[in-house]
Amino acid sequence: MGQSLLEALHVRVEGSGKKILVLAHGFGTDQSAWKHILPFFVRDYRVVLYDLVCAGSVNPETFNFCRYTSLDAYVDDLLHILDALGVDRCAYVGHSVSAMIGILASIRRPELFTKLILIGASPRFLNDEDYHGGFEQGEIEEVLLAMESNYEAWVNGFAPLSVGADVPAAVREFSLTLFNMRPDIALFVSQTVFSSDLRGVLGLVKVPCSIIQTAKDVSVPMSVATYLKNQLGGLSTVYMLDTEGHLPHLTAPNMLVEKLRLALSG
Amino acid sequence: MPTPVSAARACLTQEAVATLDEAVAVARRRGHAQTTSLHMVSSLLSIPNSSLREACTRTRNNAYSTRLQLKALELSLSVSLDRLPSSRTNKVEEPPVSNSLMAAIKRSQANQRRQPENFSFYQQQYSSCSSVPVVKVELRNLIISILDDPLVSRVLGEAGFRSCDIKIATLRPVNSFHGHHLFGYSSRYKRPQPPLFLCNFNSSDSTSEVSMTSKGFTFPFMGGFPGEENSRRIGEIMVKDKKKNPLLLGVSASDALRSFLETVQKKGEGVLPTRLIELNVICVEAEISRFVNGDCDEELIKLRFEEVEKLVQNSVGSGVVVNFGDLKAMGEESVCVDALRYVVCELGRLLQIHAGKLWLIGAAASYEIYYRFLNRNPSIEKDWDLEILPITSLRFSTEGSFPRSSLMESFVPLGGFFSTPTDMKSPFSSSYLNVVRCHLCNEKCEQEVTALSNGGVTDLSTEKNHSSLPSWMQMTENGALNGVAPLKVKDDGMLLSAKIAGVQRKWDGICKHHHYNQPLPKMNSHQLTFQFPCVPGTQVAEKRKGNASNDSSNHTFASSTECGSKNKVQFLSTDLEQISSLKTHSPLDVLSEAENRKISSKSYEKPSAVEDESAILKPNPLKSSSASINNGHTSPTSTTSVTRGLSLHMLSASTGREPGKPVDQCRVGRTKEFSGSLSTDADTFSGIISNHPTHSSSCFFNSKDPKMLYKALVERVGQQEEAIRMVVETIVQRQTKIAGRRGDLWFNFQGPDRLGKKRLVVALCEILYGSTESLVCVDLSFKEAMSHTDTLFKLQGMNTYDVTIRGKTIIDYLAENLSKKPSVVFLENIDKADPVVQNKLSHAVSTGRFSDLQGREVNVRNSLFVTTTRFMEGGQIFSSSQETTKYSEENILRAKGWPIRMLIGIDLNDDLTSQNATDKGFSSPILMSKRKLIGTDGSTAPCGGLETTKRVHKASNSFLDLNLPAEESEIWDTCSADLDCDSISENSRSWLEDFIQQIDKMVVFKPFDFDGLADKILADMKECLCKVVGTDCLLETEPEVIEQLLAATYLKGCEKVEEWIQHVLKQGFIAARKKFNHNACSVVKLVSYKGISPEETPQILLPARIMTN
Repeated sequence: MGQSLLEALHVRVEGSGKKILVLAHGFGTDQSAWKHILPFFVRDYRVVLYDLVCAGSVNPETFNFCRYTSLDAYVDDLLHILDALGVDRCAYVGHSVSAMIGILASIRRPELFTKLILIGASPRFLNDEDYHGGFEQGEIEEVLLAMESNYEAWVNGFAPLSVGADVPAAVREFSLTLFNMRPDIALFVSQTVFSSDLRGVLGLVKVPCSIIQTAKDVSVPMSVATYLKNQLGGLSTVYMLDTEGHLPHLTAPNMLVEKLRLALSG
Repeated sequence: MPTPVSAARACLTQEAVATLDEAVAVARRRGHAQTTSLHMVSSLLSIPNSSLREACTRTRNNAYSTRLQLKALELSLSVSLDRLPSSRTNKVEEPPVSNSLMAAIKRSQANQRRQPENFSFYQQQYSSCSSVPVVKVELRNLIISILDDPLVSRVLGEAGFRSCDIKIATLRPVNSFHGHHLFGYSSRYKRPQPPLFLCNFNSSDSTSEVSMTSKGFTFPFMGGFPGEENSRRIGEIMVKDKKKNPLLLGVSASDALRSFLETVQKKGEGVLPTRLIELNVICVEAEISRFVNGDCDEELIKLRFEEVEKLVQNSVGSGVVVNFGDLKAMGEESVCVDALRYVVCELGRLLQIHAGKLWLIGAAASYEIYYRFLNRNPSIEKDWDLEILPITSLRFSTEGSFPRSSLMESFVPLGGFFSTPTDMKSPFSSSYLNVVRCHLCNEKCEQEVTALSNGGVTDLSTEKNHSSLPSWMQMTENGALNGVAPLKVKDDGMLLSAKIAGVQRKWDGICKHHHYNQPLPKMNSHQLTFQFPCVPGTQVAEKRKGNASNDSSNHTFASSTECGSKNKVQFLSTDLEQISSLKTHSPLDVLSEAENRKISSKSYEKPSAVEDESAILKPNPLKSSSASINNGHTSPTSTTSVTRGLSLHMLSASTGREPGKPVDQCRVGRTKEFSGSLSTDADTFSGIISNHPTHSSSCFFNSKDPKMLYKALVERVGQQEEAIRMVVETIVQRQTKIAGRRGDLWFNFQGPDRLGKKRLVVALCEILYGSTESLVCVDLSFKEAMSHTDTLFKLQGMNTYDVTIRGKTIIDYLAENLSKKPSVVFLENIDKADPVVQNKLSHAVSTGRFSDLQGREVNVRNSLFVTTTRFMEGGQIFSSSQETTKYSEENILRAKGWPIRMLIGIDLNDDLTSQNATDKGFSSPILMSKRKLIGTDGSTAPCGGLETTKRVHKASNSFLDLNLPAEESEIWDTCSADLDCDSISENSRSWLEDFIQQIDKMVVFKPFDFDGLADKILADMKECLCKVVGTDCLLETEPEVIEQLLAATYLKGCEKVEEWIQHVLKQGFIAARKKFNHNACSVVKLVSYKGISPEETPQILLPARIMTN
């Protein structure tokens, strides 16, 4: 591992600020998703960017099907990267699956994080008794089946759905990165994501969290944001973004930047 | 258009050419007009050592013997070939290559070009010779592409083959797991190794079973379950020195615990550390649970613990794991505290004695449960040496959710697109979501697919028009296909197949929706929502346009004249509210509103300005106003154009006819004092305006006389004379030495008085450019823009940037506007702007060019930039919330137009007040609090009065929830103030200093004297009350009301407020006097009535009526 992991996951450190900000992308994107956001923070922060091991840009050989069976392995990666870079305090911005990774990482190493900013985060996608995650078991199986049977068709259907807002450039970008994922890895990771349930552990998070939620997100219903806010152990705030879609950093970067700055300064 | 064979030959390698020639020969023999993929297949099967034939034999999921299947294949192929139309009459020597076959060749070409090992080769070729290199397609790639052809896959399907299986077989030659020519994904990163993606799990994965490397392909998902991962983690915790007793936390923690214990009992090698291989497990969950619930006595549990102890002492392995199970049992309310304490102590004792040999393990479903347990046993983490392990992965409830091996269809990027009905036969086809189409739809779908693949690119939309489906549905499908569009650039083959997939999806959707009446599959329904966000703005705009034309046609000339003139009056009076209403309503609305206003204003205003104006304007020549209406609705840009039309009209009116009068009228409404200087000013104006049409596009420094400019500005702004003087001086200076310098001019307005700054800029823009059309306003402070609405500023509908403009950054917005025309750019709060914008601004001020995010540069010469900061010189933040001021600018700007309500009570000196007031029955609880009042004799200082009113307001909180919003906003203030300090980072400050160095002129604004104004307003009101009721009556005013009035003054000038006091308030007092018999000690209190939410009430700062209770 060591340096090789940093290389494999294309870890980059940009910017000249004193404070450290980690931008972690979500499922189906890679670090390029932050390109609209990054310029706004390079002056005041040192921004750490990396690709999740499941990202399409990472050599698929790195993806060990036996290792990445749960989110904990991703957390290992993140903590490893931060340790290798010598980061001792940082603010963390995580989108979708990375938000969950951030939550777990902050449970394991609370002293490492000053703040978690969770974009489109969901502790559990499946509905449960008195919990509305947005998906029924059957629906998820359907999604997985669709991915399985024809990945490209699924990508073409899922990308506009997920992007939500009418921003063709964002749809294009997301489809591209989504399609770059090897289908089997994509499927495997979505299995992992859909089968994770962070509800029980949210109370262990002591780091202050900001939850950024768009007005309409096909993957994360509004109730989830409220649930997160209530369940998270630390001080947490919800910021609403007046746009739609699961990928505000692609569709409405300027709005997101404002919220991010607000969340980071608060 | 078929391609000549020679052209196709040029794209192929020798081996492939031979096959093609064979195919051409087959086509000729059969007298077919074109050489299709089917011919190609037949040729591929017939050549010696046929790789296709060989691949067919290697497909693994054969239901029948291979030999039989091959026979069937030949048969079905010949049948299909027979079906093709043949013309014996005019035999072609070389039947040209059909489009579908050519497309397949192109596709394989593209694929080959993308393969990494070829990449550098072609790149070199490309750079050495200027022409596009010709990729010679290898036979194998050609086979794969041909297999994509729906015709071919149908033929194969009929013989029981599946094209994707054959594809995989082709890609993986015998005895070699390293087929180099797998399709590489078009990744941006070059991979060190060939992009295998079926066979590489084994190499990187030493822990997986050996069986994986056995022949063929084992599914990777079986390799590691999340459960194993959890067990491994638990093991890791247990071998630590400290905190080594894991407590699993998570919804599926119990499952994880169970699976861990199973692993332990199975001596789970490979998962657990070697130290933990020989573990014994004792479960005490049931006993503990019964004991703490009082179902069994202490003896029993003691016995059990002794048992445990014995086992630990005698254990031969590495130790004992004591499972205390789910914490839920111990965390319940009914649990006996002593029993629980006993259990905790005992287990803790055991742990201490047998450290290293004994572990505790347990689980809790959620943090709450653990927390409850922790509350009862605060030191439990230490006593039991617990380490909390979050368990986040669910146990899969059904094996069904695991992917089945049919996934491999999608392994080949182009595979699995063609869910032809024949797929149904094959054993794995159940994975298709939507094969079930009814016959009709199926046929139609196939038609389209065939049309697509034969015709290459067929216009789908025309086909869709033929179908009888509702249009919205067609739109949806269009959307779905649009989604495919991004891939167009990559590969036309991919495009084709994607299109086919799209068509199939479409028909699936249609079929499901119409013929089965089943709920739409999820994808479809979402595509609907995706499609719909069409720009509502344009529609509205069109509607408005329609309105405008309706308006002009329906009304007589006379009425439109009136309409025009009234609009004009309002426009000229530069009433900000009016402008916004113009923007939001159609002219028709404006007309009615204008009339309403007029009527309402008549009721309380002296029939002065409005009536006079309209009287003068009525005899206007019909021509001018009708022209303005025409302008309004003929120009394509909807509502703004109406404003523009009106403003043009204003120009034409003032330049065309006696210049004095209209301009004169616009003043009358605002400033009567200036009537003395009317004529000269009017001259200035008309001079400037008449200059405007000829010169405005080139340069804005065409006001010849600085004095005139100064006068005009002062008059419009009404304050900040010093600042205006500096601005004018700078402009004039620039004007005199314009030669050899850039035309852009940069100001920085510092200090408070946000409205003053804005007003000055608006005035500048109007005078220099004739209208506010070329004014671009952006507030760069990101917080203000989102968090609270500055109601006053919302009233102005200029070209204001709004974050809700989707997909457009501030920079794009600026660049776009700057590229249009020379303009006045008003950038507020640059100190709070984000670094990107700040950099762009620095760049612009130093080079005269503003570049957008894409790097395109826009010339900013001839533009006037006004930036504002609330900083004062020296970097000190001006804080208006200092001790010295009672009314801060921020609060005033945030004031809302509540209705004002009058409460009347009796002041019976101190204690008896409340009782009597309630007895009288006309008091609100506010009056119950003790108060000191502003005496009409002026003996109480206004400041004191204000203090008490504030206190009253606070005290009343317990009674009136109406005040809650106000309280909240106060909290807001404090946080926002904190944030403000925070957000201006050192970097931003240093940037600002640099920036200010570069700009042309820095202008400092003075704070607006709100306190003085408040005193004056209070005095006016008292005087008014005194006149109506008499000196004995006391007046008390809520701070909100004062703020509201101050805001009105700030926005509209003193006169309006004075008038309001003289009329509306006076009416209110009179009404109150009638209603209640004022005696000597009555108290009149003005409060803002917040019963109605501000959204419902129009933003009128000076309500037309005072509410009485």
